[in-house]
Amino acid sequence: MDDVTPKLIECFQIVFPGLNESKIPTASQDNLAEWDSVAAITLVNVIEEQFGIEMDLDDVAELDSFEKVRAYLQRRSQPA
Amino acid sequence: MKITEALRIVQGTPADAPPFQVTLACGFTPLHLRTFLNAHLQVALPKRSVQIKEGLFGDLCGTLERVGECDGVVVVIEWPDLDARLDYRNAGGWGRDTVASVVEHATLSLDRMRAALGRIPSGTPVALALPSSPLPPIFSAPGWQASEAELLLNSNLLHFAAELARDGRVRVVSAERLAQDSPWETRFDLKSDLKAGLPYTIAHADHVAEMLAKALIPKAPKKGIISDLDDTLWKGIVGDEGPENVHWDLHGDAQMHGLYQKLLGSLSDTGTLVGVASKNDPAVVAKTFERSDMVLRSEQVFPIEASWNAKSGAVKRILETWNIAADSVIFVDDSPMELAEVAALHPGIECVLFPKEDPVACLQMLRRLRDLCGKDKVSSDDMLRLASIRQGAVFREQAEAGSAPEAFLEQAQAIVTFDFSAAGEPRTLELVNKTNQFNLNGRRWAPADWHRETSDHRCMTVAVAYEDKFGPLGTIGVAKSQFSGERLLIDTWVMSCRAFSRRVEHQTLRLLFDTAGVEEIEFTFEPTAKNGPTQEFFASLLGETPKAPFVLRKSQFDEHCPALYHEVRELKKAEAHG
Repeated sequence: MDDVTPKLIECFQIVFPGLNESKIPTASQDNLAEWDSVAAITLVNVIEEQFGIEMDLDDVAELDSFEKVRAYLQRRSQPA
Repeated sequence: MKITEALRIVQGTPADAPPFQVTLACGFTPLHLRTFLNAHLQVALPKRSVQIKEGLFGDLCGTLERVGECDGVVVVIEWPDLDARLDYRNAGGWGRDTVASVVEHATLSLDRMRAALGRIPSGTPVALALPSSPLPPIFSAPGWQASEAELLLNSNLLHFAAELARDGRVRVVSAERLAQDSPWETRFDLKSDLKAGLPYTIAHADHVAEMLAKALIPKAPKKGIISDLDDTLWKGIVGDEGPENVHWDLHGDAQMHGLYQKLLGSLSDTGTLVGVASKNDPAVVAKTFERSDMVLRSEQVFPIEASWNAKSGAVKRILETWNIAADSVIFVDDSPMELAEVAALHPGIECVLFPKEDPVACLQMLRRLRDLCGKDKVSSDDMLRLASIRQGAVFREQAEAGSAPEAFLEQAQAIVTFDFSAAGEPRTLELVNKTNQFNLNGRRWAPADWHRETSDHRCMTVAVAYEDKFGPLGTIGVAKSQFSGERLLIDTWVMSCRAFSRRVEHQTLRLLFDTAGVEEIEFTFEPTAKNGPTQEFFASLLGETPKAPFVLRKSQFDEHCPALYHEVRELKKAEAHG
């Protein structure tokens, strides 16, 4: 497993404590009712803290599934 | 606090803990402010489950007007709550006429908030934060110059806050302290405001939430400060230099010691006990305290323990005289070694170094002492505390050295006053929530819960005051009860340790048996780590130490009750209950 995935799963567990760990990799705004606009911002802030990065609020709308967030973070972690 | 930590604290709340319901009134999207507030309150109330209910976006006044039954209200005002044209998200203009209209409308909004706050049920604590984000550049003057309109707006806001603070029901967060903890440049997040409706950065939301939580659930203030003398209360070693050659003023390059004396004097005047533990000749110390220019007056200090023995011993004697535990006390000394010696022998005591060479650190220390001992209200009992400790010392001396205890009590001219109408007095709940040694079960009450229960017509609450020929002790006891069938059920009973050995507890029980006209009283007793004196008292009546709730028969009480010599007064007769 890459470095990003376990850390991101932990972020999801913090923001969505009722979500079963096995369902986190397939979570998205479409299948997770708790993932509303408030939770989306909280998730971004938790990711910023856990990964030590700054994210642009403009990106939040695009990051609507675990997979998209993971891909975004992997892109960010690769050297330019 | 980080957002991750805050979420973990909130999620870690025990599911079966009784709820503590807080209404959060603010006009913006609270988001992280809500999470941080929840977390800080949860830390302050580990045995409760803090639940936060928020109102509608953009409707702070409406939320305040709809506040129902809850355990606390938190109000966070921002500029748009005074007038929508102060909102960066608003499309309205900033013309010259607009500015005057904004000031006028802000005044009306403040009036509406004041009225809504006045309607919140009494007994519900309220914490309020004034606007802490920057005003938009709406005023005609350049930014470095305050326009009349801007000053009027701020002036109206401060008048509003001052009125609320004077009333005492609302605790207003200090804008100055917030500015120290959360600098202006790191407070405002315009992008977050425009996109999500939250104007605060995460760090600022945390600072605001922390201060609101402290205001809503204030920590119990420390009860006493024990201070060293040489190079602490004054500059110099009095044993070497003589009483006339130690300093605490600008002239002696010792102003920080003078400021420290001022703070101790101020704390003493508001009920914090101040004592001295010093390695010195007692006669030299007494002579120094006779100096007319001493800022801290000798009558503000008791006791003064001056000897050549270990400081921990002096601290022990002072704690015994005050009859309070080490964890309620601060020890101040300029010597790290003395602080360590006292800390080792008195676990829990708060040891504070007097930084005699560093004025900046010294000012921080003074602020810390004020934070630890400060109270938002000073009661008449606070003013009596030091006098009653002195009185207690005289009482004990005479009881031990002079006449036999029985004759001594008989000649004390003691008066016990029972007040059945004092349940709503702040001192009553304060006493219940801070008393440890004579405490039926250690239960602490949230103000709203206390107010709700004691307002019930079936509840009988009595506050007990004591005085004798040595002086008044003020309100020293509270008992809360209700009828349960043919019995009286007491679920809260506390008595200040200052009133021990005067048989006030016996007189209280006698009055409750007589007033209620019952043959049995049931006590919701629970042993705690600190209520040993309560256990001993009940053991003297029952013949054994109780381990759980129990029933005391009047015949048992009468059989074991010693002679009582008090004159008994009732300020307001108990009404028929049950």
